[in-house]
Order: sequence, then structure tokens, then C-alpha cells
Amino acid sequence: MMDCKKLREVLDAFVDRELSPDAAAQAEAHIAECNRCRQAVEALTKLREAVRAAAGRPEVPAHLFERVQSSLRPPWRGSIAVQAIAATLLLAATLTLFVPSVRGAAASALDYLALKLDDSRPVVLEGKLLCRDCQLEKEYGYHAMCPQTGHHGAIVTSDGRIWNLLEGEKSQELIHNSALLGRRLRVQAQMYRKAGSLAVSDYQLL
Amino acid sequence: MPLAWTSRSKRFEKEALPHLGALHRMARQLVGATGADDLVQETVLRAWKYFETFESETNCRAWLFRILRNAWIARWRKSRLELPLTETESETIEPYYDWEAEFLREEFSAGVKLALLDLPPDYRMAVLLADVEEFTYQEIARIMECPIGTVMSRLNRARRRLLQLIQAQHEEGSAEKTVPLPEQIPRRKL
Repeated sequence: MMDCKKLREVLDAFVDRELSPDAAAQAEAHIAECNRCRQAVEALTKLREAVRAAAGRPEVPAHLFERVQSSLRPPWRGSIAVQAIAATLLLAATLTLFVPSVRGAAASALDYLALKLDDSRPVVLEGKLLCRDCQLEKEYGYHAMCPQTGHHGAIVTSDGRIWNLLEGEKSQELIHNSALLGRRLRVQAQMYRKAGSLAVSDYQLL
Repeated sequence: MPLAWTSRSKRFEKEALPHLGALHRMARQLVGATGADDLVQETVLRAWKYFETFESETNCRAWLFRILRNAWIARWRKSRLELPLTETESETIEPYYDWEAEFLREEFSAGVKLALLDLPPDYRMAVLLADVEEFTYQEIARIMECPIGTVMSRLNRARRRLLQLIQAQHEEGSAEKTVPLPEQIPRRKL
């Protein structure tokens, strides 16, 4: 049986429902018989309720909820401007893929950009020595004058580009010796993208 | 706009954000209404940062309150260079209290708000965690990072201190009504 002294020791745990079932039953049995201890339990319970009332309701101010949500969002997500740019780029990419006229414009734009970024620089590139005029005749139906004027060597790279060779000491053979046509070669050159031309400083036939 | 951009944020929205109100209520009691917003925001940001380490099957509310307490202590350290609880603590329970005091039979809830503010902050937090948030002693021990014995002694001391403070308010109030003589100016019995 629990006495007053023991009950006062476990008073908080009893009110907080932290006692084991056995101990709680003993405490209840004691409280049923002891007015002073019952008064203590009632006072402590009353204090608990008063603390709860003083703390108020769990409320979140609307501005705080907004603040918290926006601080959790990645910074680039919420911006309408960024979303608009992303949508425009997506549309442009779609048009480029599926509309030929836009594709042409986009290709020109990319060429322009490449030109701006990479106008002239030293390069080493590999390709096949072919006659420029005959190649254009083959691809586009250009009327080549080679039977009258002779072939004009140029380097065709694997991406299909035809690079003109500028007249120079090292390029003479490549431009005018039609016996070399059809050979693969590696050239060291200065590239002039604007003119689609190479100034060859050296070359090796492969 | 809902936070629906990853599954992590969906989980966070579902498990953590519903406790924002309770966190704000505790923050108001700890740092006052003006600092509460910042403390809650700091808590949520910390929780979001470490959300990967939170295990779903454990108690998210208790986890958040623990983060709130750590954020609060970090702020306190920054501003005051000392811990909130300055008293030397012992784990002894003080079972003896005059439960027959007159004022206990009257309505005393009005004085509790003021009395809470006079409690040492960690006592205040222990009482609020137990009485308002209804956490178990085990949960409070985890939140406050202390043994259960310390939780029990803090609750015990905090509640009796609260009652002493309320009683002092009552006595001051009744003394004012009776116009005290200069030599009888009441003092808080603490």
C-alpha cells in the first residue's frame, strides 16, 4: 500500500501517466482514501491545464508558412522569368528539329556563333583530298569546268565540310597535283573559318 | 504552391510541416513572439537539411522539437555566450510542497503566463513539452538530450517553482489591495 510520503514522490509521474500500471493502481487506491493527497493531485492537474491554456493553440502565421515554403523551394524554380526562358528554349529546340526553315536559320545562327567564337586558329585535321569543283558538281549539280581548267584540290573532312586550300608553298602540290586526289592526309594549317579555308604549313599523306 | 518538386519534399511536407504550429507555439514561449518566426524558420531549414537522417518510423514531432532546442541554444550561445540553464542541477526530486495552500483552491490560471516567463528556460521547456505537447518522459529526455532522471527533476522543480511564483503574485495582489505599510512591502518568497 502506498503512503503519503511515497505518493508525493511519484506525484508528477502519476499525473503525467508515467507510472507503471501496478504503481498507478496503488496511487489511485491511496488517493481514494486520502483527502490531502487527492487535493495535491487535483492542484497539479489544475496547474497542467493552466499551463496548456497559457501556451495557447498551435497556430502558424500565414506569412511564416509562406516564408518556410519559399525557403525550401530551390531558388531557380519559383522564378517566372526563368520558367519563361526555359519554355522559349524548349520551343526553339522543337522548331529546330521539326521545321526545315527554322532548322536552316538555327544552323546559320550556330555557324555565326561558331564564327564569332572561333574565327581563326591553328588546327591539325584529317580528311580526303578531293577536287572541290567536282565535289560540288556531285553534290549540288554545279557545272564544273575541270576538263578545261584542271582539278582544284580541297580537303573534305568526315563531317562533310569542304575546306579550300589557300595558295602557298606547301599547298601547291595538294591543289594542283591531280594524282594525289582521293588520298587521305593529315594537314597542319591555320584555319580561316570565315573563308572556309586552310593555310597549310605541313601535311602527311596517310 | 505546394512543395511538390521531389519525393523528399513531398515526404517533408507530409511528415514535418504539420508540426509547424506546435513548433511556433513552443518558439513563442522560448523567445517571444518577435523572435519566434526566425527560430521556427531556422528549425525547419535545419530539419530539411538533415531530413535524410530522419528515420520515418520514429517520431517526427519529437525530432523537430529536438532540432528547435538545438537551434535555440545555438542562438543563445551566439548572443549571450552562456547556456540557457544556469542553475546547477541535481536529480533529486523535491516531493514536499504545501499542497494545502489557500490559493490552490482559487482560480490561478491567469498568473501562469507571467510565471512561465520567470522560469529558467530549460525548466520552461520541460514543462511545456510535458503539459502542452504531452511528450513522454522518454521523448523529453531525447529532445533535451539528458537522462530521464533529469527530466523528472526538472519537471518537479519547474512546477513547484511555477506555483511559488503564482502564489507570490497572489500575495502581491492581495497586499496591494490592503495598502501595505512601508515596512510590510511584500517580497516574492523564492
